[in-house]
Amino acid sequence: MFVDTSGRRARLLRRVGLLVGAVCVGYAAVLGLAFMGIGTSVSPSSLLPFGGGQNGGGPGPGGGGAGPQGGVMPTGTPPSGAPTAPTAPSGATTAPSSAATPSAATPGAVATPSAAATSSGAATD
Amino acid sequence: MTTPTPSSPPARGGRRAPSRIERAAGRAAALQRPRVLLALLLLLALTCVMLLDGYLRAEVGGDQRVRTGAGASDVPDEVLDGGPILTFPGGQATTLSVPDKTIALTFDDGPDPTWTPQVLEILEEYDVPGTFFLVGSMVSRYPDIVRELVEQGNEVGIHTFTHVDLSYQSDARVTREIEQTQLALAGAAGITTTLFRAPYSSETDAIDNYSWPVYEKLGEEGYTSVFIDTDSDDWQQPGVSKIVEWATPEDGEGASVLFHDAGGERAQTIEALPEYIEKMKAKGYTFTTISGAMAEQQPTGRPAAPAEASGTHGGLQAAHHQATGTTLYEGKALIAAVAVAEWTVPALSVGLMVVGVAVMGRFGMMVILARRHYGQRNRRRFGWGPPVTGPVSVVVPAYNEKECIANTLQSLARSTHPIEIIVVDDGSTDGTAEIAESLGLPGVRVIRQANAGKPAALNNGVRNARYDIVVMMDGDTVFEPDTVRHLVQPFADPSVGAVAGNAKVGNRRTLIGAWQHIEYVMGFNLDRRMYDLLRCMPTIPGAIGAFRRQAVLEAGGMSDDTLAEDTDITIALHRAGWRVVYQEHARAWTEAPGSLKQLWSQRYRWSYGTMQALWKHRGSLRDKGPSGRFGRVGMPLVVLFQVVTPVFAPLIDVFTVYSMIFVDVRSALLAWSAVLGVQLLCAAYAFRLDREKYRYLLMMPLQQLAYRQMMYLVLIHSCVTALTGGRLRWQKLKRTGEVGTPTGAG
Repeated sequence: MFVDTSGRRARLLRRVGLLVGAVCVGYAAVLGLAFMGIGTSVSPSSLLPFGGGQNGGGPGPGGGGAGPQGGVMPTGTPPSGAPTAPTAPSGATTAPSSAATPSAATPGAVATPSAAATSSGAATD
Repeated sequence: MTTPTPSSPPARGGRRAPSRIERAAGRAAALQRPRVLLALLLLLALTCVMLLDGYLRAEVGGDQRVRTGAGASDVPDEVLDGGPILTFPGGQATTLSVPDKTIALTFDDGPDPTWTPQVLEILEEYDVPGTFFLVGSMVSRYPDIVRELVEQGNEVGIHTFTHVDLSYQSDARVTREIEQTQLALAGAAGITTTLFRAPYSSETDAIDNYSWPVYEKLGEEGYTSVFIDTDSDDWQQPGVSKIVEWATPEDGEGASVLFHDAGGERAQTIEALPEYIEKMKAKGYTFTTISGAMAEQQPTGRPAAPAEASGTHGGLQAAHHQATGTTLYEGKALIAAVAVAEWTVPALSVGLMVVGVAVMGRFGMMVILARRHYGQRNRRRFGWGPPVTGPVSVVVPAYNEKECIANTLQSLARSTHPIEIIVVDDGSTDGTAEIAESLGLPGVRVIRQANAGKPAALNNGVRNARYDIVVMMDGDTVFEPDTVRHLVQPFADPSVGAVAGNAKVGNRRTLIGAWQHIEYVMGFNLDRRMYDLLRCMPTIPGAIGAFRRQAVLEAGGMSDDTLAEDTDITIALHRAGWRVVYQEHARAWTEAPGSLKQLWSQRYRWSYGTMQALWKHRGSLRDKGPSGRFGRVGMPLVVLFQVVTPVFAPLIDVFTVYSMIFVDVRSALLAWSAVLGVQLLCAAYAFRLDREKYRYLLMMPLQQLAYRQMMYLVLIHSCVTALTGGRLRWQKLKRTGEVGTPTGAG
């Protein structure tokens, strides 16, 4: 009874077993990662591409703290969004300074976030 | 046996793994390492599922504490007296209020499968947006509602993952609560959000020294903490008119109004909402989201184009961000994982219920039937017919039994019933045949054959038997003097084709021996009595059974199609219309496996063999007459009790552990003990019927625990082996005898 001399069933089952095992490992891994928050970037400041640099480098009244708030009000300034969008793809490393400076000049907190937010939108595409 | 190990095949008496099988098993073990690994991985996944389920229901790490009455000296006065929207631009705490004649409807604690969709319907009907502060665990359980909610143009905020008072939690926990909720949102609706509302928070003047650091920390990370200034207090269910009244701000002021769309009965909220919206509209109010309220207060604020850049519809959802990359995929994976858990745990509960019903039902049935069986067979006037006094043949298949064979034969020589003894030596290499001959016992014949397996040896013995009734026993089993006499009496009834005797464990002093002793006593006393009355005994134990020679020959003799030739032949006799009965007074003493490893391999063979035999006789399901009767009564019982129940039985322990950790230690242990108590009662009854000493029952809790897990693993292992179609070698090896047992029994 039950004997399969061809071994085809055994091979098939081995594959199924491998698959099931992999799924189990994956399941545990997903839960572990999700629980510990590994591999995700969800806090609003981390959504901004230059958030870290701004927080460290621009401690001025409108600088550091403004970054985070950008998430809330990216809608604020349509004009600044347009010019910064092209600069972001051009060079990620050089962009921050150019993007940040004009924002400091423009009235306070509003410009920086919008620039950051729009480029974040571009970057996340 | 029985017991909630429901599993156990009715004990069959001692058979042990031949050494060659053990060697083959050793080789096979190397092949089976992947199986062990897979089993462990499955266990890991199950643990994850259970933990996740506990976490989602806030049974793991759930923290019910809520802080009240703490001081507020560290909290800036501007915040305490400020508007309900708290942000930290430039690290400076700033509050905003909702503009005049504007309402920001906020709903806490959702999503809820009952109430949230109703709220959404109302909002859509009145074309009004709301802001929902969602609990992450609920988001992950009801992702579809969240997706719809967002698509409808509402805004969402984070209300933590497990609805804990964050002021009690560590920074790491706060971060985890937020990030897990973001992941859930990403998985459910493809977005993340920057809005946050703390559980148990209310107006800004309720911020205290313990919660303030949480808002500061989250504010620095870029979150906007949203409070309320107008509370409908709908959770108190004060009645529709009160809710509307309390939710109405004074003098045309703007308001961040709190409702609840989850967390209990919310029918009043659902009823109050339309009334409230109509009333406020009539007063000239407009409705917006939190982001909408904020945008209107910004100097340059005109909700406009860039909203699309963040992938949301208009300024009303400005707090939303499109989730991308790993966040999105991890979020989707999390949602899927939660869905799996949401299905798995209820499915396991159903399994547990099946076990519960099967175990309890079986016990009830067994106790009733065993009682009736005992009463019937021990009645003073009971008889099978005229006493059977004619001589019978006893067939003793022997393979390397030098330690036991002398004991076995000497016990037979003391028989009070006339017998001839046929020792079939199955190619032993240890001089078993010579020992048997040298004893010089009268009426002993030794037949030698080349090693061909136990079924062949039995067939050889049956062919050489001179008498119509053949008793079969193992080479390591010892009979009492009147065992054979008792065993053959049922043949006075011409419809009886075979009789099962009562096998007893001789070596019951060890732990494992005692376990098997309990199992055998229950198996024989309860199971076999039940099967006898139901006329569907699945197995005559190899250690002690008697057959009509004619019946065996007509059935084609013992077959080596399966590893359980005893089950195979018993079923074949049933199908041929013979009756198979249990004779409790015919006792045989046998030596049970002495180590866990031997026990495992014995049970593996039994369970695999039983499955083979059932499969071989599957045709009986469609047959007519006695064969069909066995197929429709016996087969389902055997499948239910020897295959299905053992597979689900460990759930008893799994759920006990689960409840101990996540629910309540005491009641979990109580439930477990209740199951054990029922088993103990049944076992005690079985012991009473057999007049055994009760002290072995002390072993029972441990026995049950160990047997459940072992039989489960054995069953799974057998099923996998059956599916792969492997183990051809075992077929040829068979169990051919005995490795070497110090005398069993006594």
